[in-house]
Order: sequence, then C-alpha cells, then structure tokens
Amino acid sequence: MKPAPRSSVPPDDIEQTAALWVLRRDRGLTATEQDELSLWLALDARHGEALASARWGWDELDRLTGLQTSIGAVADPDLLAPKATAKAASRFRRRIFWGSFSLAAAAAVAFGIFLTRSNSPADFTVAPTPNAVALTAPCEHRVLEDGSIVDLNRGARIDVQLTAHERRVRLLEGEANFHVAKDAARPFVVNAGDFEVRAIGTVFNVELHPAGADVVVTEGRVRLQRTGSRLARLTHETPEAYLNAGQLGELRQAIPAAQVNTLTPTEVEERIAWQPRMLDFNDAPLSEILAKFNRRNPVKLRIADAQLNTVRLSATFRSDNVEGFVRLMESDFAMRAERRSDREIVLWRAP
Amino acid sequence: MFTPDSEQARWFAEEILPQEPELRAWLRARFPMLRDADDLVQECYTRLLQAHATGPIACPRAFLFVSARNLALNHLRHQRIERPEGAEEIDVLAVADGGVPPPDAVAHAEDFQLLIRAIQSLPERCRQIVTLRKIYGLSQKEVASRLAISEHTVEAQGSIGLRKCIEFFRRHGYNPPARR
Repeated sequence: MKPAPRSSVPPDDIEQTAALWVLRRDRGLTATEQDELSLWLALDARHGEALASARWGWDELDRLTGLQTSIGAVADPDLLAPKATAKAASRFRRRIFWGSFSLAAAAAVAFGIFLTRSNSPADFTVAPTPNAVALTAPCEHRVLEDGSIVDLNRGARIDVQLTAHERRVRLLEGEANFHVAKDAARPFVVNAGDFEVRAIGTVFNVELHPAGADVVVTEGRVRLQRTGSRLARLTHETPEAYLNAGQLGELRQAIPAAQVNTLTPTEVEERIAWQPRMLDFNDAPLSEILAKFNRRNPVKLRIADAQLNTVRLSATFRSDNVEGFVRLMESDFAMRAERRSDREIVLWRAP
Repeated sequence: MFTPDSEQARWFAEEILPQEPELRAWLRARFPMLRDADDLVQECYTRLLQAHATGPIACPRAFLFVSARNLALNHLRHQRIERPEGAEEIDVLAVADGGVPPPDAVAHAEDFQLLIRAIQSLPERCRQIVTLRKIYGLSQKEVASRLAISEHTVEAQGSIGLRKCIEFFRRHGYNPPARR
C-alpha cells in the first residue's frame, strides 16, 4: 500500500480515522489492527496529533458517566434527545395511556369526542397495560343502519340504539370518531360517561378518559351537556355548550362548565391521527414508511440495520395494519421482525 | 502533568478513598481471574484525578466503577483469558447507583452543559451510541445488543459521533491542552 501524498488527504478524513482508532483501541485492538495503527501513525505527523485530540475528546465525555443514574439502572439511549423529541415521546406515552380508556365517535358531515369513565376506579389499574394484541389490533370501522360511520380506536366499545325518534350511541370505553348521516327527524346523540354530545350534522371525535371526556369537532357543530349528576342538573350548574368545527371541548367531572378551545389545524390533525387511513407510498424509502406508521400507531417500528434504508417500495397500506405490514416485510423483503416489547418491533435484515 | 493541590487531596481522601474496599470487593467478585488488581485500582485513581484536575465529574463513583470495569476487561484481554460467560452484561451503574447526586443538580450544572450539548447535537444514532457508552458506561458489545445493531455499526457511528463532538468543542473554543 502506497501512502497518499500528504496534501491530498482532507483533514476531515484524518479526524474521522483518528476517532475510529480511538473507539477500536477502547474495545481492544487485534494484533493486525495494532500493526495497522502503527503504520497509520508513521504515515503522517498529523495522524498522531489527531489521535491525541480524539483520545482527549473521548475521555472528556467520561465526565458525564453516571449522569442521572438515579433514575434507575435502565440505560436510556434517548436521555439526551433534543427537547422536541423528548416532548413528542412524552405526548406519545400520554396518548397510549388515555387511548386505553378512551372512546370516540363521526357524521356525514363529521365530529369526534373523547370520554372518561368516572365511576369505576378499578379499571384504572387494569387498563394502563394493554397487551400486544390490543395495541396492534386494527381499529374497527362500523357503518350503522342509518348510514352513520363510527371508527373505533383500539379497545373502544360502543352500544348503539337506533329508534324512530333518536339515534343514541353509548361510548362504554375508549375513543371513537363519528361521521353522522344527516337525518333531521332523528337526533344523533353520543353518551360518554356522564356527558352527552348531540350532533347537529357533524363529524366529531370523542375520547373517554379518567378525568372526563374530550370532544373534537372536525365538521359541523355539536352540543355538549352533562347528564350524569342529578345534583348538577338540579342546580343548573352545567350549562350546555356548543362546539364548532376545529374546536375542542374538555368535559371534566370536577368542573361544571365545558371548557372550549379552538385548535389549530395541526392540533386537530394530531387529535384524530389514530383513525385508520390508506397510506400511499410511491418508491418511498423504508424509513419514511415507518415514520408514517409510527405517527399513527402505539407500536413503534424501527430499523436495526442502516442498510435496510436502501429498501424502497411502492404500496398502499392501511395505517393501522402494522401486523400485515410487518408480515409483508418478512415474507417479501427478506427481513426478520423482532418484537422487543409490546410497543416496539425491530426490523432486521434476514441472515 | 497534574499536581494535586490540597483541595484535590482532601476531595480524594473524603470522597474516593472510602470507596476502595467496595471497589476491590466488586472487582474480585466480577473478575476473579484478574491478577493485578492493585495496579488497576491505581490506574483508575490516576484517570479520575487527571479528569478531576481539569474539570468536574458528574458522578465520581460511577466514573470509578466504569473505569475499573473497562480497565479490567482490557487487562483480561492482555492476559489472554476468555471472559467468563455473561461478563459482558456487567451492570456497572447498578453498583454505582449509591451516592449519586440529585440528577437535576448534575444535569443543570453549567460545567457539563458543553458536553451535554455536544451529545444533543448529534444525529440520533450517534447520540444514542455515545449516550449509552459514555453516560451509562456500556461496552461496544452491550450497546450493539441494546440498540439491536451490529458491533461494527456501533463502532462506525460512535466514531462519527466522537468526531462531531470534538468539532462541537472546537467551535465553542474548548480544546485539548497543548501537547508538550
């Protein structure tokens, strides 16, 4: 091997090579590597300087050893994730947590509601640890006899009663989105815990959670009302509230009046991102596809091998069909899926 | 290269020396094949004092145990002894967990901000590798298994992370001491 002329080696490469040698030395050099390192050092005086500097930097980082170990001995690779990522992660955790209790509903025009069960604290201890099946199970899409559409988030349960005078849906648990078919003669009412959401030609989302219910309207208008507490009704302390498209109504057991906030389009989008939709990919890299899935599902897909990033595909998937997507990767794209936990699936290149 | 002043001598006597019996017991239990434990402990102290002389250390106890583990593995390599089964999984920080300063106090200490920000500025994979290796003291092999990537990737991405950290230091006027 002939040494390259000194001037042709970019300093950047020297530093990168030096850094690599520091890591190798740290894990222990093989005999061959020791020879290579000696050769490399002899090649150019700058190599030794670069190695010393890289060594210094590597040792400097040791000052952080044990930073925040009292959190527990579990190593968190994202301990120093930039703020935005950390926040997204905690929001994600919150959504999973709520999601397991929540229920939600939608209209031919469309609306959504989130509700909490208040009267059964026992569920509180059971619900926060949903199993893998529940997390990867697809969301349910139901068309009611009147033509209204209800999308149920994972774990949501509803009870539907359609009569000549009224359409009533009880959200028993979880989150649902309601797309209400227009029928002036028969009001469409969703009961979520102690609250009532009356659709006025609407698409809306309801999430039932321990503290109350959250309602987001994406089209039309709904009326919110407390129904559960007799005392509240007697004292007239629960005025009804109206929600318009783009608004969030927060109903809380402890607070008489619904709190109404106007959301930005992005916030609305986030609130209803759980709803399955078709994801179209045209020659997209795997990382982009995983990112789209991960944004919409509690189970995170990760790539184990950077080389998998060269995989590109054109396909259409239902956003909640994580299992199907993973099976396809295993059967047709020479990958192996490792289920790390009920929240994480790691994709490897098949050996 | 460094001259221990009285302040440092006191710090060493009060904070570090009392840990020696435990450190030795731990080394004996973890690395029964290790021959030169005395040298190794001295080497740990030298590293610790050198670092302490030029700046703060987040958690001296963790630093001590992680250094000891790394040095022990190195020594064993030189003794050409096969590592005992499971030796890779040594949870150093579980040992080092006692006497850890309140996390916020450490994390917010200005002294560490440059180092922390350097790691924060890294691309995700590099950041995770440097975090696991340096803050949690995991070996390359442990990091590979924790992140489900090859050891080769840990090494390559880790070296990119290191180079970028050094660039970051340089941009912020933080440089290695001049070589004699």
